[in-house]
Amino acid sequence: MDSTQLKKEIQERRRQAQSAPSEESRPAEHNMAELRKLQPRYRGLEAGHRACQGCGEALAARLVTEAAGPDVILTNATGCLEVFTTPWPQSAWRLPWIHSLFENSAAVASGVEAALKAQGRKTKVIAQGGDGGTFDIGFQALSGMLERQHNILYVCYDNEAYMNTGIQRSGSTPHAAMTTTSPPGKERMGKRHLKKDLLSIIAAHHIPYAASASVAYPADIRRKVRRAVSIEGPTFLLIHSPCPLGWGIESDISIEVARLAVQTGLFPVVELERGELTGVMPIRHPKPVADYLKLQNRFKHLFTEDPRAREEREHLQALADHNIEIYQLKGDGMDALDTDGADTVRRGGMVD
Amino acid sequence: MKQLSRGAFALPGTSLDFKTGTWRNEMPVHNHFGAPCHVACPAGEDAQAYIAKLMEGHEKEAWEILVSANPLPATTARVCPHFCEQACNRKHMDQPIAIHLIERYLGDEAIKHNWAYPLDAKRMEGEPVCVVGAGPAGLSAAYHLRRLGHPVTLIDALPEPGGLLRTAIPVTRLPRDVLDAEIGRLLKLGITFKPRTALGRDVRLEDLLAQHAYVFLAPGAAKSRHWSVDGAVPSDLREGLGLLKEWLIVGDIPKPKSVAIHGGGNTAVDLARVMKRAGVAEVHVITASGLPGPDADPKDVLNVVPREFDQAVEEGIVFHAHRTIQRLLMRGSKLVGLEMVHLKKLPGAGGRSSRVAFEGTETVLHVEMVVPAIGEVVDAQGFESLLGQADYFKADPLGQITTSDRVLVGGDARGDRGTVTAAIGDGRLAAAAIHAKLTGEALPDPKRRPFIDYDKLNVNYFEPSPRAEETMLPVGKRTDIDEIEGGLTRAQVTHEIGRCFSCGNCLACDNCWTLCPDNAVIKTQERAKDGSHYVFDYEYCKGCGLCAHECPSGYIVMTPD
Repeated sequence: MDSTQLKKEIQERRRQAQSAPSEESRPAEHNMAELRKLQPRYRGLEAGHRACQGCGEALAARLVTEAAGPDVILTNATGCLEVFTTPWPQSAWRLPWIHSLFENSAAVASGVEAALKAQGRKTKVIAQGGDGGTFDIGFQALSGMLERQHNILYVCYDNEAYMNTGIQRSGSTPHAAMTTTSPPGKERMGKRHLKKDLLSIIAAHHIPYAASASVAYPADIRRKVRRAVSIEGPTFLLIHSPCPLGWGIESDISIEVARLAVQTGLFPVVELERGELTGVMPIRHPKPVADYLKLQNRFKHLFTEDPRAREEREHLQALADHNIEIYQLKGDGMDALDTDGADTVRRGGMVD
Repeated sequence: MKQLSRGAFALPGTSLDFKTGTWRNEMPVHNHFGAPCHVACPAGEDAQAYIAKLMEGHEKEAWEILVSANPLPATTARVCPHFCEQACNRKHMDQPIAIHLIERYLGDEAIKHNWAYPLDAKRMEGEPVCVVGAGPAGLSAAYHLRRLGHPVTLIDALPEPGGLLRTAIPVTRLPRDVLDAEIGRLLKLGITFKPRTALGRDVRLEDLLAQHAYVFLAPGAAKSRHWSVDGAVPSDLREGLGLLKEWLIVGDIPKPKSVAIHGGGNTAVDLARVMKRAGVAEVHVITASGLPGPDADPKDVLNVVPREFDQAVEEGIVFHAHRTIQRLLMRGSKLVGLEMVHLKKLPGAGGRSSRVAFEGTETVLHVEMVVPAIGEVVDAQGFESLLGQADYFKADPLGQITTSDRVLVGGDARGDRGTVTAAIGDGRLAAAAIHAKLTGEALPDPKRRPFIDYDKLNVNYFEPSPRAEETMLPVGKRTDIDEIEGGLTRAQVTHEIGRCFSCGNCLACDNCWTLCPDNAVIKTQERAKDGSHYVFDYEYCKGCGLCAHECPSGYIVMTPD
């Protein structure tokens, strides 16, 4: 490719973009603010929120609210999502949304749901939390919500550490990952313990529907959200959402990294009904976990000369292999819904 | 006054007041890179564009895009080596798109339904131009000049138009009803066609120049290059193109027991296959080039359509690669065999490469006949003053020559061409150049655009999918008349166009719109002037680069803000 000619072309496109006429001078059908209102999808989470560049959680929350539609009340645990969407006096949500404390998103949602029930209203309640507010701090509230059979979808945006407070390890942080409270050094190679198997604990509540999903597969998220909100009773969705800052990746590859988490088997995408495994996203060609790890600074210490680095890499590979084995993730040829087929694009847009 | 709790509240969607676009240090922009198929096509066909149109279900409009560059698609689909497919990025994933079969489908549909070229045959507002030679270059120039509104006179020495398409390409590759249909339709566009009119015999160049504003010269290369082995020539020597022409017109071909054809082009391979079918038991092709194959250097392989080579091998032609003829074994003036030797093109001193024969590698081949097919040069009859002593014209990419400012040259008469498609491209560029000169506009820029590499695409979003296979006559059923290769069904075409990556161009897949965490991609057909369906809302775009990284076709580029 002729790079100077290319540079010129791109410079020209940039100049055009920058010297565009002002929005006010445009007719209504070309005015950005008006066009925003005409988008052929529901906008639950609007622009102007303060998430970092390339935030997986912001994307996941946008996709969840898009799929759930306007007849929804949201609750939120403390965390990035709460902070970046609602810097007072503004809100990025176009839905009723309430935040109380770190630990009680599920409890608040339970109360909202009970009140709606008393009023005879069918509005769906969606409780939201990060992995800190779900795996650890809000865990008892969540368990109670599930046990009491509230008609609530609980969505956990899993970015695998307390990112809002500065990257501390959580129950969800994967084994061997570096956080500020699990630094690699003489004693340890990152986090000593394993990622908590939350889905199994949720499954033990025998709720009608629980699933995991990834921001790398938006159509799969939409399908699962629609499925979950259509069920009368407690449902749970765990969405793997990369954090560029906390994981030490460039903002443009957060989808790429999320995709690799699924394709390596480290993050299994599964569906459980009444605690039984009823569906998985098969992996067409399992990739080595090193492909996933080497993109992220939080696993940088696993690519050093230290003999423990090799050991931990093998450990993570074994964990991925274990996931593939127990969830039977290995695909069987071409499948439109497997890790390679589920994100296939078509001319003229996605069909789902 | 209503008492609020200690909590705070905010109105829905008010974060829009906060313009996160100020955070950005890189901005995404759309950039339509050239697609490899488009850049590689010497005729200038934009395969991606007509594939996209076809995918929308508009067959005629797809064909109109196709013929905006190439007026003879059903013909080139059958005879071109398909540079587009050799360049197709899809080859890195599985197999290239069968572009030539899509082209063939559109070309054949146009013939079947008698679609009219999208131009007004009565429009005659320009200046008269004369085109010499009704081969691919001349037909293309005449057609493009007509598109631009100029009156055109087309002359040819032969009774029928088509040039080497008619005189040198076997009907098994190019059925004459296809050729006749395409050329016939083209000549009806208000072109004055004068057959049996040879330059230098029936008309003089000076007269043409007196009657026309410009002359486009496309005489082809019809004179066989002189051939001998160290000065020795069998008394009954016939050269390859002559034999092929004679067979096409008269239907007669010599039938020795064994023959060696010397050359590595389409003429050599076509002739070998004709002779084999005529009953010659042993047909050898001796070529200084290598054979096509996965490890072959593309600069060092036979200059034939790759699948024609495969078919020739299937039919039992024996190829001797990297060889030349060193000596003829004669009994009197009659050939009884020849001595071959290995050779290779090697860089020599001073940077010029030369062919080196290797001593000790001589082998003897017993054959009754040797036929040179080592290429042709320009027959300068009627324009000796323009060509001088040279074998070919030297012209700039637009066909302009130094010896005349009112004569442009294209096709095989330029030494640097050699395919029908390149000749068609020459005709198009020369027509554009003539039009520019006549109207005082800027000359067209023949420089090829940069095209987008495979690693700039995000192929996670595409599925492996096998290439559609055309039907092919089995070796035992091949005759001298029936076309060997078939086309695709509409269902196969639909499958094949679905395999296009849309390299460097928006395919409206919604990825950027779906994956922007900041809702900063707006879907709109009305405002997206560039033909995509999306615009960026730079008031909110934080410049994370996700859309660019996840764009399957590389249409989004991040650039410093």
